Amino acid sequence: MGIIEIENLKIYYKTVKGYVKAVENVSFNIEKGETMGLVGESGCGKTTIGMSIMRLLPRNAKIIGGKIIFEGEDLIKKREEEMEKIRWKEISMIFQAAMNALNPVYKIENQILEAIYAHENISKKEAVERVSRLYSLVGIDPRRAKEYPHEYSGGMKQRAVIAMALACNPKFIIADEPTTALDVMVQDQIISEIKEIQKKLQMTMMYISHDISVIAETCKRIGVMYAGGIVEYADAIPLFKKPLHPYTKALMNSFPSIKGEKKKLTPVPGEPPNLLNPPSGCRFHPRCSKAKSLCRKKAPKFVEYQHRHFVACHYVG
Amino acid sequence: MSLRRYTVMRFIQLLVTFFIVMTLIFILFRLMPGDPGVFLISPKMSEAAKETIREQFGLTKSIPEQYIFFIKNTLKGEFGDSFYYGRPVKDILFEKILNSIVLFTFGAILAYAIGMTIGKIIAWKRGSKTDTFFTMVGLGFWTFFPPWLGLILIWIFSYRLDLFPLGGMITPDVWAFNPTLSQKIIDFLHHLALPLMAYVLMWFAGSMLIMRNSMLETLREDYILTAKAKGLKDKVVRDKHAARNAMLPVVTSFSMSIAFSFGGGVLIETVFSWPGIGRTIVDVTLLQDYPLAQASFMVITLAVLIANFAADIVYAYLDPRVKY
Amino acid sequence: MKIIRGKSKTWDLFIKSTLGKVGLGLLITFAIMAVLSPIWIARNPQIYDPLTGKDPNVFGSIPPTMAHPLGTDQLGRDLLSQLLKGSQIAFLVGISVGVFSTSIGTLIGLISGYYRGKIEIVLMRLTDIVMTLPLLPLLIVISGIFGRKDIRMIVLVLSLAGWTLAARVIRSQTLTLKERPYIESARVSGASNMRIIFKHIAPNILPLTFLYMTIGVTYAILTEAGLGFLGLSDPTISSWGMMLQWCFMSGYTFKALYWMIPPGLCISALALSFYLVGYAMEEIVNPRLRER
Ligand SMILES: Nc1ncnc2c1ncn2[C@@H]1O[C@H](COP(=O)(O)OP(=O)(O)OP(=O)(O)O)[C@@H](O)[C@H]1O
Ligand SMILES: [Mg+2]
Repeated sequence: MGIIEIENLKIYYKTVKGYVKAVENVSFNIEKGETMGLVGESGCGKTTIGMSIMRLLPRNAKIIGGKIIFEGEDLIKKREEEMEKIRWKEISMIFQAAMNALNPVYKIENQILEAIYAHENISKKEAVERVSRLYSLVGIDPRRAKEYPHEYSGGMKQRAVIAMALACNPKFIIADEPTTALDVMVQDQIISEIKEIQKKLQMTMMYISHDISVIAETCKRIGVMYAGGIVEYADAIPLFKKPLHPYTKALMNSFPSIKGEKKKLTPVPGEPPNLLNPPSGCRFHPRCSKAKSLCRKKAPKFVEYQHRHFVACHYVG
Repeated sequence: MSLRRYTVMRFIQLLVTFFIVMTLIFILFRLMPGDPGVFLISPKMSEAAKETIREQFGLTKSIPEQYIFFIKNTLKGEFGDSFYYGRPVKDILFEKILNSIVLFTFGAILAYAIGMTIGKIIAWKRGSKTDTFFTMVGLGFWTFFPPWLGLILIWIFSYRLDLFPLGGMITPDVWAFNPTLSQKIIDFLHHLALPLMAYVLMWFAGSMLIMRNSMLETLREDYILTAKAKGLKDKVVRDKHAARNAMLPVVTSFSMSIAFSFGGGVLIETVFSWPGIGRTIVDVTLLQDYPLAQASFMVITLAVLIANFAADIVYAYLDPRVKY
Repeated sequence: MKIIRGKSKTWDLFIKSTLGKVGLGLLITFAIMAVLSPIWIARNPQIYDPLTGKDPNVFGSIPPTMAHPLGTDQLGRDLLSQLLKGSQIAFLVGISVGVFSTSIGTLIGLISGYYRGKIEIVLMRLTDIVMTLPLLPLLIVISGIFGRKDIRMIVLVLSLAGWTLAARVIRSQTLTLKERPYIESARVSGASNMRIIFKHIAPNILPLTFLYMTIGVTYAILTEAGLGFLGLSDPTISSWGMMLQWCFMSGYTFKALYWMIPPGLCISALALSFYLVGYAMEEIVNPRLRER
């Protein structure tokens, strides 16, 4: 039993050109204390999954089917008022564009306090103390909490956003590309910061990134996503040792290895598909070197090929 | 730079601008055809009076000296005597300004409060019937010709329904016979109602449409998503996060449109016979009462500058990012 | 090439916008009125001239009849003639002020945004100052000083005072455009400043220029009408503002709605039509306003 279980999730965006089939039959679960990494090319639907868990999808998005079970209850069935209580208190989020995630006209401390007060009935003194502690935890001088966002550097804003995500001791945190907007040096600092906090707080997390090396560094369990679907889901070590899906293999060749081995990088050949009109059958088949006629016709099932190692491919192995 | 220093700097800028406008007026009036000083000396004046004026305003001296006289007199509030009233201009103006300020301030505050509230609500419900309705109404009122709007209001509410007086600020009959304070206030408010309504209808649309657009832009910002993700109530997200930021462009546009709004004020005061500075400048121009016209224009400009200054300070106060 | 594609796409979006269509429809209606004006008057200038005509059979203002579809004013002049002529005048004033003021604003915006430095500071201070001039009172005073009320002078003053908003917006747009890579590459390849401004930057701010022109037209129409209503516009022409003033001054305001309604309605509707065209344009020029 995971803390969060997603079953056959299917989300479309309605646009003037038709439906963007952004998430198609996605299933996975995350156990308590585990950090799950969701990796895939830009536009494959990672943010859409994250937002659907918070129930904060844009107005033109529609959850066509599936379940999002959080602690045994389906979030899709919750009323808006019930969701308001769950957001941040139970599930919080570190946003993709942290640079702009803070309201420019309020002091950062007040923005964190606001989240605390929305969910907990505690005294101002306690709350302010908690903000100080959070600031120390993410590595900013607590005295700077009373400043405005524009007085912070990019890295500091990102840390403040992380502090804010931790403010109510959530059971589950979704981190959507928390470092993409930062330069490489700061990126590394933030990642090690997150790793340390992970260790200290034992939190459950979903870490979204398009960079498999970042995911490898931070996550125990990894879901590889392609064009709206999860194609492979496994523990990090077996996945890296023996990737099963052709896309996973291609993806690994396209990023520098974390261990720093010298290897020739080959980008995944071909273009990511247009989700308005995704390819038939297995969505990866136009870019797959091993594709056969079956791949064009029939979408492969997502099966547990080995213990805790799921894959969606007709020709595994 | 601190807010205080910014205020001081901005104030200096106000003074400089006012000087430039004064210079402009100085030049304009000296371009007037006819004898030098026609704009200060009425043909009806006695020779002695004419001499005093020439003396006081240095009219026999060279142009640069006249300019110095002019600046000094303006700063002292000496604008000569009104041709028409025969009294010093400053006494007449003071009363007129007060009348205008009352109407203008109430009108602006009400209009902006209403406009911004509706704008924020319809942006939140964008695409709904309410949104479409108010946007249409707003667009209609925004380009409504002000005096025509005034006439229609008078026609409906005074002429047909007989609810309000046709114009003016007080009923002389009521004020002649020692009225109580409350009688005075009621009479005044009774007269205030229609021109105020005209102001509000004329101005709410602008602030509403700008607020709506500004909200639509703000609602796409990531910090709005953050606010929602924090589990804040919709109303808190809308008012505390979106509207607070969306307000900023409205303040800017207020500051930029204030001079134009004064034009509308002149027309409304004329239609409603409101004894304010706007109506005065029209009347005295038609009466060729130049000293009063000149002073009225300077006072109106000064009012615009002060309103502008105030709006900029409010903006700096509202937006911590302002780089002074 | 890029620009041409942009233009036709803008046009497509524009034609899809309901508000844009309404605005354009109104504009065309008024244009037709302006064109019909000489035809209507030419039938019998002695009766139908908007200023000097007089129907000998009419005494005082009369409500609509067959001969005078909108009635006459207190001097027996045909109101329809005045209304049609007024459309001509409004277009003339609105469009000339719109074009002049926006040209000035665009030029000042381009120059201050492109050259920065001292030029920018001076021009922007100038903009601030002109922006705080209360235009209608200024025009009132000027008409008093010179005693002569001339429509050309009104157009001139409106143009010289109405460019500020456009200048500000175009300056900031120029600032961002200047940083684009293709401008940089044009500069590196040795294009002169003038060439960069007019060949590379100006075409890209054209939609904005057009947008501010519609706003300029709206404001010119309303201000000229305001002057007319105050009796301070050119007495040798008959504009809508003056029609309303004659009605107001002759004491017919509430007795003759056939007289009071049409000019005000026309002023408001023509101003609205230009504003609507601009509003529809803004939704296109600024895609952030569009629904996702
Ligand atoms: N509001 C929307 N309307 C229509 N389509 C959308 C919308 N938001 C996202 N999409 C489309 O849905 C697909 C998935 O988008 P999503 O943002 O979830 O991708 P992502 O994996 O997070 O990408 P990235 O790594 O770039 O953040 C994309 O094809 C995107 O174009
Ligand atoms: Mg994303």
